Amino acid sequence: MAKSSVATGRSKALVRRETRSAYLFLLPNLIFFVGFVVIPMILCVYTSFFDSTMGKDVEDVFIGLKNYTELWQDPIFLRALKNTFVIVLVSVPAVCIFSLWVSALIYRMKGVVLSTFRCVFYLPVVTGSVAVTVVWKWMFNNYYGIFNYVGKGLGVVENNINWLGDERFALWCIILILFTTSVGQPIVLYVSALGNVDTSLVEASEVDGANNIQKFWKIKWPLIMPTTLYILVITTINSFQCFALIQLLTSGGPNHSTDTVMYYIYYSAFKLYRYGYGNAMGVVLAIFIALLSAVQFKLAKEK
Amino acid sequence: MKKTMKKLAALGLSLTMMMSLAACGNSASEQPAAEPEAEETPAETPEEEAPAEETTEGAEAEAPAEDGAGADLNASITLWTYPIGNWGDSATVDSLIASFNAKYPGVTVTVEYLDYTNGDDQVNTAIEGGQAPDIVMEGPERLVANWGARGLMVDLSDLFATEAGGEIYDSVESACKAADGAYYEYPLCMVAHCMAINQTMFEAADAMQYLDLETHTWTTENFMKAVQAVYDSGQQNVAAIYCSGQGGDQGTRALINNLYSSTFTNAEHTEYTANTPENIKALEELYAQAGINFDASINGGEEITLFRNGTLAMSLCWNAAQQTNADNGEAGKTNNGDTIIPMLFPSDDGKTELCGGIWGFGIFDNGDQAKIDAAKTFIDFICNDADQVNESVKASTYFPVRPTLTGIYDGTDTADVMNTFSTHFMPSMGDYYQVVPGWAEARTEWWNMLQRIGTGGDVATEVETFVTNANAAAAK
Repeated sequence: MAKSSVATGRSKALVRRETRSAYLFLLPNLIFFVGFVVIPMILCVYTSFFDSTMGKDVEDVFIGLKNYTELWQDPIFLRALKNTFVIVLVSVPAVCIFSLWVSALIYRMKGVVLSTFRCVFYLPVVTGSVAVTVVWKWMFNNYYGIFNYVGKGLGVVENNINWLGDERFALWCIILILFTTSVGQPIVLYVSALGNVDTSLVEASEVDGANNIQKFWKIKWPLIMPTTLYILVITTINSFQCFALIQLLTSGGPNHSTDTVMYYIYYSAFKLYRYGYGNAMGVVLAIFIALLSAVQFKLAKEK
Repeated sequence: MKKTMKKLAALGLSLTMMMSLAACGNSASEQPAAEPEAEETPAETPEEEAPAEETTEGAEAEAPAEDGAGADLNASITLWTYPIGNWGDSATVDSLIASFNAKYPGVTVTVEYLDYTNGDDQVNTAIEGGQAPDIVMEGPERLVANWGARGLMVDLSDLFATEAGGEIYDSVESACKAADGAYYEYPLCMVAHCMAINQTMFEAADAMQYLDLETHTWTTENFMKAVQAVYDSGQQNVAAIYCSGQGGDQGTRALINNLYSSTFTNAEHTEYTANTPENIKALEELYAQAGINFDASINGGEEITLFRNGTLAMSLCWNAAQQTNADNGEAGKTNNGDTIIPMLFPSDDGKTELCGGIWGFGIFDNGDQAKIDAAKTFIDFICNDADQVNESVKASTYFPVRPTLTGIYDGTDTADVMNTFSTHFMPSMGDYYQVVPGWAEARTEWWNMLQRIGTGGDVATEVETFVTNANAAAAK
């Protein structure tokens, strides 16, 4: 008995030591996490209740929920919110479906061929967003862009289309670019997930007479669900936070047709110095992201 | 209970992560980066992607102080400069600081080079972090109307009280003065923004007859005739009312305000007054004119590129620095060698008022009197010292703000062009109205208004919306 309690004491000490080591390993990251995530987050929520602006000896004025109520009466914010949701609702399914389709086609390929495909789709992800944007801007150029050139050459377009300067097209151009820069990571993840599906399960289903569609939906799809969930959440967050493309290509125009909440946060805080208002938008955006992610988790669990 | 606590902790952590994504902005790969545009001031040199920082140690200056006047001054100050001509070039600025240190060896000047894409954000972030620079070089719309109006700058009245300060043009001095009577900028240089035409395209269209090349002027009627002639000659894109952002917006304002001699603000600089019948008529005619595109996909900098590469026959975003720019080939020529002729904006009464750019120095009040004194000494040396000021102005590639400073560019390659601008363009520099309160919002409202007009919005309604929103911003 005494021997057993000594052993338990030793194992507890060991666990404590290992736990302490683990926390020490985590500490550097934790410091950054607290410093650059937790504290800014708290300040963001706190400042959103104030009329806060830049200036010497300017005191922040507590205004309660006024920033939040103003948001819903601000037509630019409402348009930005609508645009953001359009981007999310179009981009997320498109990215997921396209990357799953491509992955299903290429994951059985071997060696160089598979690596080539991975490279092709991953290249826009690792290329700097400025470089990507500059190239796209050239392609969309009103005067000598390749889209107008090809379109006119093929007789599809009669007169040059001002892709980024026309309300009817600008947001869709942004979505297209976002799509190309978003599919790389999901494809790599899906290829990996599909490659890790237990072949014995697939073979067993074949023995039971399952066809290809049944094999995919009944065996592979449930097994890659965690990857799908991760891709959904990450793509949703990235789409909600679409900013650099807007900043570099359209500055929210023409006529606010490409304003997103992220861009409007930047504009309110850094151009108009309305820090409280910008933070209130940040909180609202975070709530939307959290809600949508929660729904995705819930749906994935039910599956 | 333990399970509930764990769930709560997990939920808290999840929310933390979600909210932090919004709080902290974007991922590293999506940081806003250099937008290929010049702002109010199309820079002569390409804008830098990131600020560079370097220190010129006063103690390392080779030449000793000429006299003992500056020897007892000891301080370390920071200078942040936007790319105003060669004030964005480290070799040029180093040489200017070396001259300063020869006289004031105890002052160390650390320079940071800003660009017009991220510069404002950098300065604002520094202000919020209590790390504002001691000196910043830019124009009244930032130094006076923005940071000065927010009580962040030091009053520079004493510099205006000097002999050199008393010589500064009244209009320039007025632009540096805030509503509270304090001066938040001490000016060094200025330029009048104008427009330019491609001579080859105009000759091909037989449109040179509409220009007065002696005075570089044209009437509104002749301007419209010229645009039509160039368009009829097969040049579909004659000019662009660029409006993707605020970059180079002084060009569109100047064109519209001058066509029928109207105004943008009142003379007191307290109110926006662009909703005049004359401005509305100008906008309606521009919108209806074949060959003029309201283009929401380009800004001023991009319009210059299109003009230089021969896509457009005119640029509305021009000045002396553009005319002497030889980055893409011979100065005063397009990329394919066509001659560029600078022109005043057309006017119906023959009195064009050009938008001006005025650049100088402001001092942030960081609470350290020794640094403030050193900063004032630096500004005084750069702008007022008889042996130095010509070099300081020349570095800007623009013009002096004092009539007593003449012949700065004599003997240089650009002397003829600078003389042309000095004779025909600088005298037409109009009211510097960019100091009206709410200027940042008004600028945004302006290009948004042009976008709406460009997509078929009713001109009178859109102009009224602009004025209402701009004045609401001014009243805040």
